[in-house]
Amino acid sequence: MPSTVVHAGFALLLAAGLLGRHYDRRALAALLVIVVVPEVDSFLGPFMPGAHRTVGHTLVFPALAAGLLYYDTRIRDRSLVRSRLDDFERADRWIAVAWVALFAHAFAHVGLDWTHLDGVNVAWPLVDRFVHLDGEVVFSTAEGFTQTFVEVQVDPETGRRAVDAGVTGTTETVHVNNPVEPRDPDEVTEEPVDRRFPVANAGWRLYLIGLGLFTLAARRLQGDV
Amino acid sequence: MAPTLVSAAVGALLAAALLGSAFDRRSVAIVVAAAAAPDLDAVASLAVPGATNALFHALWIPLAVGVALRWDTAHRERSWLRERAVGATGDRAVRVAWVALASFVVAGIGPDLFWRAGVNPLYPVHDAYYLVSGRLVFSTQEGIVQTFVTLGREGPGVLPIERLGTSATHAVPTWVNPDGRPGLSLDAEREIALVRTGWQLIVVASAVAMLAVRFRETDAEVTR
Repeated sequence: MPSTVVHAGFALLLAAGLLGRHYDRRALAALLVIVVVPEVDSFLGPFMPGAHRTVGHTLVFPALAAGLLYYDTRIRDRSLVRSRLDDFERADRWIAVAWVALFAHAFAHVGLDWTHLDGVNVAWPLVDRFVHLDGEVVFSTAEGFTQTFVEVQVDPETGRRAVDAGVTGTTETVHVNNPVEPRDPDEVTEEPVDRRFPVANAGWRLYLIGLGLFTLAARRLQGDV
Repeated sequence: MAPTLVSAAVGALLAAALLGSAFDRRSVAIVVAAAAAPDLDAVASLAVPGATNALFHALWIPLAVGVALRWDTAHRERSWLRERAVGATGDRAVRVAWVALASFVVAGIGPDLFWRAGVNPLYPVHDAYYLVSGRLVFSTQEGIVQTFVTLGREGPGVLPIERLGTSATHAVPTWVNPDGRPGLSLDAEREIALVRTGWQLIVVASAVAMLAVRFRETDAEVTR
């Protein structure tokens, strides 16, 4: 994983942009919980092969949550969330924070993990496929507009089109190393177990952490929280 | 050079995070333009040797602007910026100016300092390109592994981070100047990179989604 610290840094920047008048310590604390919770799927690894980057990193559950939240707060006559949080102002606030958390989770957590190692199992449990986002978008005077994120190849003989969006495997074949399971359980080795807890494994990840801290400091300087 | 689109995207995210009540299409455009501005030194490199990621990526311009802004808005009796603020309050203009300055440094210069090409932060006083590159990991076998800052680095410069050379030895290719050296090479192949890696695509996508959400909100407030 790009470390949880990197997710948190980028999530803080996104949250500061979206929280508006709800920006305060409690909202940010709730957001950080949402950043950390998906990593709990690491602990499911010993019981379910390929659980990390699958159970907590699919976009199916967040989409479902967004759909339910929308239905409950916008379409139903009497919202369950609102009736539980009796104070109107308070309900408004936590509904807004929930939307921000969903946004931050999708972009700062799932989005960044999608670009790292074997990627994420983005549509599990509907489709069991890990996908890894990697490539570039370039306009060149020699070759024109090219992108290599999604490769489309047409077989010259059969005319069949093959689309490769960076599929790396399924829960059966993919294991993404994490501190709970630092190496693929199928691998037999005598080497001592090395659990690695990364803070930043590349300059740009340090940059994303810095962006989050800068945002917090700047907002403080501006007089918020 | 990190793609200008990535700098612009980070600038847009900073605009959304820091502009507060001054957030609208015009102020966002100013902050995004400030994020893209440092990359204009690629044009200067056609005449000045090794100006890319040096001339406008050095800290002197933001430092001078910051001092001037502070003096004008806090110490003068009549602030030039406040009086110039057309169609807006003075406070609003001051806020946009500070956020634009932050965007110039953090979104414009930042990505280059932390990714691939490096930045010449004190050019021309101290001519050396630096790059923050390495890792910071806690390992149960090796303890703390930290390679961002190490003493005894090779190459010209004094900071204990990766050194890439001077403006004479380290040329940064751009689409404006494909070989990074003075002179127009009109028949050379040019590449404009929009995004170079997956994480840059995610940053750009986040910025697009952010602006879409925020502009919808502000438009709804206007019609209300």
